[in-house]
Amino acid sequence: METNTSRKGNPLWNTLASIKLAVFLFITLAVTSIIGTLIPQGEADQFYLERYGQDLFKIISTLRLNDTYHAWWFVSLLLLFSLNLVVCTINRFPVTLRIFKRDSLSCGPDYLSRLQLKKEWVLKDKEADLDPILNSFKNAAGIPKERDTGDRRLYLVEKGKWSYWGVYGLHSSIIIIFIGALVGLFWGFKGYVELFEGETTDHVINRSTFEDIPLGFDVRCDKFAVDFYDNGAPKRYVSDLTILENGKEVLHKSIMVNSPLTYKGVTFYQASYNSIPEVNLHIIASNGRQGSLTVPAMERVAWPEGRLSVGIIQYLPSIHGEPAAQVWAASPNGEADTVWLLKGHERELSLGGNTYKISLVDAKNRYMTGLQVKKDPGVWIVWLGCTALILGFIVVFWVAHSRIWLWIGQKNGKMTVLLAGQANKNQLAFEKDFTKIREAVERAIGDKA
Amino acid sequence: MTLSSSFLLSVTTFIYLAAAVLYLTTWVFRVQKLGVLATAVTITGFLVQTVGMGLRWTESYQLGYGHVPLSNLYESLVFFSWVTILVYLVIEWRVRNRVIGAFSTPFATFAMAYASFSPDVHDEIQPLIPALQSNWLIAHVITCFLGYASFAVACGLGIMYLIKSKGGEEASSGLLGVLPSKRVMDSLMHQTIVFGFLWLSIGIITGAIWANEAWGTYWSWDPKETWSLITWFVYAIALHARFIKGWTGRKIAILAIIGFISVIFTYFGVNFLLSGLHSYGSTK
Repeated sequence: METNTSRKGNPLWNTLASIKLAVFLFITLAVTSIIGTLIPQGEADQFYLERYGQDLFKIISTLRLNDTYHAWWFVSLLLLFSLNLVVCTINRFPVTLRIFKRDSLSCGPDYLSRLQLKKEWVLKDKEADLDPILNSFKNAAGIPKERDTGDRRLYLVEKGKWSYWGVYGLHSSIIIIFIGALVGLFWGFKGYVELFEGETTDHVINRSTFEDIPLGFDVRCDKFAVDFYDNGAPKRYVSDLTILENGKEVLHKSIMVNSPLTYKGVTFYQASYNSIPEVNLHIIASNGRQGSLTVPAMERVAWPEGRLSVGIIQYLPSIHGEPAAQVWAASPNGEADTVWLLKGHERELSLGGNTYKISLVDAKNRYMTGLQVKKDPGVWIVWLGCTALILGFIVVFWVAHSRIWLWIGQKNGKMTVLLAGQANKNQLAFEKDFTKIREAVERAIGDKA
Repeated sequence: MTLSSSFLLSVTTFIYLAAAVLYLTTWVFRVQKLGVLATAVTITGFLVQTVGMGLRWTESYQLGYGHVPLSNLYESLVFFSWVTILVYLVIEWRVRNRVIGAFSTPFATFAMAYASFSPDVHDEIQPLIPALQSNWLIAHVITCFLGYASFAVACGLGIMYLIKSKGGEEASSGLLGVLPSKRVMDSLMHQTIVFGFLWLSIGIITGAIWANEAWGTYWSWDPKETWSLITWFVYAIALHARFIKGWTGRKIAILAIIGFISVIFTYFGVNFLLSGLHSYGSTK
């Protein structure tokens, strides 16, 4: 492409402005993107060591191929790509401006008769009435601009001149998308939180740094439910969420996959769930104490009155239709034992000089909902960029700049009417339009020619 | 039910096979009457397939699942072949040359045969898992496959172009003579690539909007996303090279073929070889 003459000498500028660099970057980005799809991303070091061995692991960790798309060199490629786009745009701007400002009414008959689409009529009568010809041209082509230089007149119907700017819309859309992504990166966050039914939180956890992110309000999970189809596939995950400000309920929504909840720019997405079994135990100790304990899996629950702490080692939802659990129990002096309990069958256990009668009263699954939590103030900029991308593309490839001229004047001493047209794309459609206008003008000229 | 969608769609496979054979025969033996028959057979196949897809849609409601048949590999293959035939028929009608059919209908035939006969592809109507329960599914799949189908036709044209340009001096007569002129094929290749690129772009964007609504991330560099971007780069190269460097003909034909290989990998390779967010598009 033409380059701006004033900057022609600067080789760095010329490289940055070159389409060669653009194509090179397209290819490099495409090829390096492939790497990230072949090597699993975001695994622990150990994974790469085992899978690829010591030598390849060194390469992977040096080039950060375990997180290719955020590696310094990949981000640099993206930056260079943006720079290339911006410089290309600046460089081409004066050229486009010149094309845009070009005066299409300064064309003479010589230029027009060299165009591919044209028709010339030589009128028999020098003093013929030209108004009907002009009117039929206006009716067929539209309202023209005109330039009258006494004995010769030029009319021009021009459409889609603005389409030269489409390529700038298209290219800046990529930059707009990048800006939107950066805004999200700097002023947003990606977090997650897991909430039991009934649990409330005022913060979530950052997905990459695992740090707490305060929300500035509370969110509570009232209920979680999962439905299944007859074939066992999941049908619906639903979490009933309540937003609280200073303990007051302000918003309530049941969220599902594809139907999140947004409050103050923070969006909660249904992402996963977990169910944790919870067992109710009844224990009678030989010291006369008795108690009811609720023991969730993987937690150690203390019962000081009975000088005992208990935990669940294994849980089976159904043995002959009844729940069963392997319970671990320990006395304060460190003595411990395990026992299998089946609902409806009492068992005895001796620990620290006491005897305990333990029975499993009830067991159920306690649901925990897994939420992705996101704040992204840049997402609207990204959507704006996407819209600009599509509209820009349509303008670049389908909106034509078309010009149709009607020149009337003396040529070689004879009164001449010259119709000519030119379009920079969609030739076929333009030829059809031109033919219609030509026929209209021809009818108006009739036997005057 | 006497007339099931799977019956109609199986029949479609054989109709498209017949159409492909007829187009090839028309080209090789230059029997113009066969060409008319080929078009008639293709249109018949297209109608049968349309009814088949419609039936599958109503059957899904009878099963109580009720969704547009665009949700798994089988349904996407059926839709891919349907759009490919549609794009081809529009081109045949506009260019009035049937040789292109010999290079376009086989793509639709392969897709249908793979969908119908491969043990990897299950044709049962399955209920939609929660992630797929979105109207963006329809927009995303339709736009992506409009792109893929256009690129398939562009690839067919690219192959034709290379065959014709190999012919050299004799290209004006014989088998190669019936092919459209290089100028027409070059222009058609460009048009189908431009059309496909627009739809691929919209497909990527609708996918991003959907992902943002389902997971809160519009771009997560999952293998399918990344491969769709790689495909996008290949065609971006083709468009820029043509626009700025004036590349035409052979070079664009080669890019049209490379681009379609990338499409195939985006479509199947990712599902079968790599894992990621789109794994429900595969069979497991």
